[in-house]
Amino acid sequence: MRYETARLADFSVLRAESRRQGFDRSFFSLVMLLLMLGVIMVLSASFPRAYYDPGHITGGSATYYFVRQTIFAAAGVGAMLLCSRFPIGFYKRYAKHFMVITIVLLALVPFIGVKANGSRRWLGVGSLTVQPSELAKLAVILLFAAMISRRRGRMKSFREGILPFALILILIVGLLVLEPHFSASIIILSLGAAMLFLGGAPLGWFAAAFGAGGAALGVLLVFFPYASGRITTWRDPFSSSSDEGYQIVQSLYTIGSGGLGGVGLGGSRQKYLYLPEEHNDFIFSVLCEELGFLGAALVLALFALLILRGYRIALRCGDPFSFLVTAGITTLLALQVFLNVAVVTNLVPCTGISLPFFSYGGTALIIQLAEMGIVLSASREIPEGDRME
Amino acid sequence: METNNWKRKPGIGMLRRTMFLMATCGIAAFAVLIARLYHLQITEHEKYESLAVAQQLREAASSPERGAIYDRNGVPLAISASVDNVYLSPVEIEMYGEDKDLIADGLSQILGIDRNEIYEKASRQGSWYVTAARKIERETADRIRAFKEEYGIKGVRLETDTKRYYPNASLACHLIGFVGTDNYGLEGIEAQYNAYLEGGSGASVRGTNAYGAEPMFGNYASYIAGSEGCDVITTIDSTIQYYIEKHLRQAVVDYDALNGAGAIAMDVNTGAVLAMASLDGYDPNDFLAVSEQARSTIEAAPNEAEAAKLLASFQARQWRNKALSDTYEPGSTFKIITLSMALDSGAVSLGDRFYCPGYASVIGRSSPIRCWKDGGHGSQTLTQAVQHSCNAAFVAIGQRVGAERFYEYCDAFGFLNLSEDPDENLSARTGIDLAGESGSIWWSRNTFCSPKNLSQLAAASFGQTFTITPLQLITAVSACVNGGKLMRPYVVAEIKNAEGEQVFRREPEIVRQVIRAETSEKVRSILEQVVGDPNEGTGRNASVAGYRIGGKTGTSEKVSLEAATGEKEYIVSFIGFAPADDPQIAVLVFLDTPSNKTGIYISGGQMAAPVVGAMMADILPYLGVRAEQDSSDSSNKDVIMPQTVGKSLDEAAAILRKAGLRFRTIGEGETVTAQLPAALWQIAKNTETILYLGAEISPEKESVPNLAGMRYNDARDMLSRYGIYLHSLSTVIDGDRQCVSTQNIPSGAAVEHGSVIEVSLVSNDDSMLGKY
Repeated sequence: MRYETARLADFSVLRAESRRQGFDRSFFSLVMLLLMLGVIMVLSASFPRAYYDPGHITGGSATYYFVRQTIFAAAGVGAMLLCSRFPIGFYKRYAKHFMVITIVLLALVPFIGVKANGSRRWLGVGSLTVQPSELAKLAVILLFAAMISRRRGRMKSFREGILPFALILILIVGLLVLEPHFSASIIILSLGAAMLFLGGAPLGWFAAAFGAGGAALGVLLVFFPYASGRITTWRDPFSSSSDEGYQIVQSLYTIGSGGLGGVGLGGSRQKYLYLPEEHNDFIFSVLCEELGFLGAALVLALFALLILRGYRIALRCGDPFSFLVTAGITTLLALQVFLNVAVVTNLVPCTGISLPFFSYGGTALIIQLAEMGIVLSASREIPEGDRME
Repeated sequence: METNNWKRKPGIGMLRRTMFLMATCGIAAFAVLIARLYHLQITEHEKYESLAVAQQLREAASSPERGAIYDRNGVPLAISASVDNVYLSPVEIEMYGEDKDLIADGLSQILGIDRNEIYEKASRQGSWYVTAARKIERETADRIRAFKEEYGIKGVRLETDTKRYYPNASLACHLIGFVGTDNYGLEGIEAQYNAYLEGGSGASVRGTNAYGAEPMFGNYASYIAGSEGCDVITTIDSTIQYYIEKHLRQAVVDYDALNGAGAIAMDVNTGAVLAMASLDGYDPNDFLAVSEQARSTIEAAPNEAEAAKLLASFQARQWRNKALSDTYEPGSTFKIITLSMALDSGAVSLGDRFYCPGYASVIGRSSPIRCWKDGGHGSQTLTQAVQHSCNAAFVAIGQRVGAERFYEYCDAFGFLNLSEDPDENLSARTGIDLAGESGSIWWSRNTFCSPKNLSQLAAASFGQTFTITPLQLITAVSACVNGGKLMRPYVVAEIKNAEGEQVFRREPEIVRQVIRAETSEKVRSILEQVVGDPNEGTGRNASVAGYRIGGKTGTSEKVSLEAATGEKEYIVSFIGFAPADDPQIAVLVFLDTPSNKTGIYISGGQMAAPVVGAMMADILPYLGVRAEQDSSDSSNKDVIMPQTVGKSLDEAAAILRKAGLRFRTIGEGETVTAQLPAALWQIAKNTETILYLGAEISPEKESVPNLAGMRYNDARDMLSRYGIYLHSLSTVIDGDRQCVSTQNIPSGAAVEHGSVIEVSLVSNDDSMLGKY
């Protein structure tokens, strides 16, 4: 059986087999389309900041971020294609090793990490920097998928179905809190929950987890004024539009300025240093201003199509590991997109979450594209009869 | 094996759970986001857009070139030129991490401003516009540009502005006025015609980046083009203005006028103001600066508050246009008005005679009004009464006119505005197109016209107990001599836009016909005899040989001041017009509070009349008024020293004789080697000059004697013995009957041989000394 051979990781056989099957072209095309839009938006959103260079980074070169993002995108596409070539069993086999490396890196970050905006989130070797929290997301998906697929029948028990997973999550989130990296913690916790949900963990546990999470949040708000201040800013950003609320107020100005059809690609006014992080976490705001409601809705529709396609691939997978990995990566993508847009539109309190394929940044982009490559790899191994046209 | 539980496809439970995730993550989440975007981008679009636009736009007013002000011959009186303002953008300095010390040192060196001040401005948090220096000249701006370039500084910026220049400095300063640092007219024509001069101020609205100054690329920059300011062409004649100011300034020195002086020259037929002066003046290029004398007073102030108060009062005083803003009791110059109304109404006729016993009793007055001449003028014709400026006669003339009629004529002359309310104190203005005009103050109709008390009418007949502005007087007197038309005075004739098209033109405006043309002719002829009659005319010191000048003296007592403090202070004045048979120009001069120190008798006839005479002597030839050469008086005029050096003694003697000069010789020779005075000096007729025949002119200096009160010919002869010569600014009619009143080089000053002292002359007739 196919999954048997996969477990044996008989590379030569699998590679021969996978070569015979192409990957899912629709999924690939959607990724490439979004990526191209993303790179164009980086050019549009970043050139004023790159030109004025208030942070003394670019040396006044207007295309500084664009050129780098293009290189990252090319590297990312390479990584995606490479990852799509590995048989899915490869990921299952090395999931544990990958997690160990990730945890080691995460543990290093608080000590030798590069500090930015009060947090250490980066590991740097020369000019090359890596954000281990991005790796952690993938590591959780791979390891949980591997663990769940190995204990299919035992997921209902606490000892087998909850405890080991919870311990891993606590370890990772504990390390992230040291950085601190709140948004990554939220995503990894959500992702872990989604994996367990898909893996068949009893629904009662989720109810308990939500209850505990809610209580923890309540405690946090009562005892940490910083956190409750965030809530106040979220509820009424205009009351502090010159300090805490500045970013979100500017984002709302930016999005609202777009109207139905937008001011035209390249025409944003808010990107002239009014909107902070306009080529990073808030790139979607610039997109809303330039392309309007119609453009923004179109881009969201492309993301929705990609996500639905990802789940569809998952459902057709021939083995539980492939299914879990694909569904997990798709869910991660959905979480990132939803949280990013929800933050820039002030649906949820402000926190730093990048928009996949759009936000400027090398590590995140390459890892995200590699994740897509893993989905493509899974799509190669869909049994003959379930292949989608 | 556990994996055996996994079928080819996920089980039904897995499918359900996956479908749940698809529904939430793939559809519901996006529906929420799209709903949110719809709310922000469609429902609240306008609100957010306007908020965003408000923060993105920077509006900068661009000041268009202010229009120029010209005199009536096209001579520029006020012009504008481009300059730069320097400002700092501390936000940018902060963002670009520029060196504040470097900026402070550099700018302080270039602009000469305290470096700490610049450093402080460069450090202002959150500000993107702090002015460092205003209106710097082009070379300085270029140095700043070079400085910016050298160090790549963005936080120091230049913006264009315009600066006002007044090429003639203080000339006509009160007419022209000045502008503040924002180029807004604050005084004079600059203020009155500011709307035309400043033009439509343009504005540039541009989207800029969040730090303020850098524009967005290709994003909304909209320029509302400013329209250039219009050029204003005035009625001012800068040559006449120059003559007026020159003689007035000299008069203030000669007669020690403690409160300054004023003068107006008006085209009697149109009401156009040709010149208007007020002393002390100021330089509109630096209108805040006060005179040296004022500065030393300010420096002596005990504390800073006192000094600031003093400075403000000195500034207000130098900016005040006395000819327009001061009101005074005109005194005897007003007799022209009384005379005009009396003749026009038929209350008196040319043949009437008036007896002056030296006083006049008036109903309602406990003591009689005294005439200036003790013992009185006796029996006089109407013309003589005016020539003598006889108060007693004018009290009688006023009473013949009657209070009601007098009051109505004054209304017609523009001195008061009749109103329905007989108890209202009345006031009027000429309506000249200049800011700062004061109004007259008159008794109410009931007070003035009370049959039980004629004292107001009596005093008003010779110009006391009411106040008017000098401008009102010259406007009314112009009507008396121009055929009876009261003209609206004005200073701006025409306004042209930047393209040269006329946008405004003022035609002379006749307010009303006040007196008949025949009356005006009689008034002219009587007034001509006030100046022209060398024996009886109180205005004879204003005469100019060869010209027919009419006029009237005035010596007004500051009655209210005397009542309050007991001090006697006077404003002496003279109003003249010429030519008397066909008047073109009227000139009014008033000297406010001449001091006792000069020793010159304080009266309009002794002080103001010679000033007007000197002005007329300059202005009338300039205006092309032909002098009547057949006048015998001209034989006594000063002559021009000819060149005799190099000539033989005989030749030189002939030349001098022909020029009307005598000579003596020094040295033994046949050829003139030097002469005193040098050629082309204007000196008194019959002066004894010196011809040097081989001898040298002594380099020693001579001490100038006090000439005041000396007969002109005596002074001439005395000075020529020292090798100093005399020139009269007044017309010399009879050198034995005219005495020196003022001299331009004070007594005791050391001068070289050959110097020429300029003097003014007055009549030496002691019987004519009086407050008229």
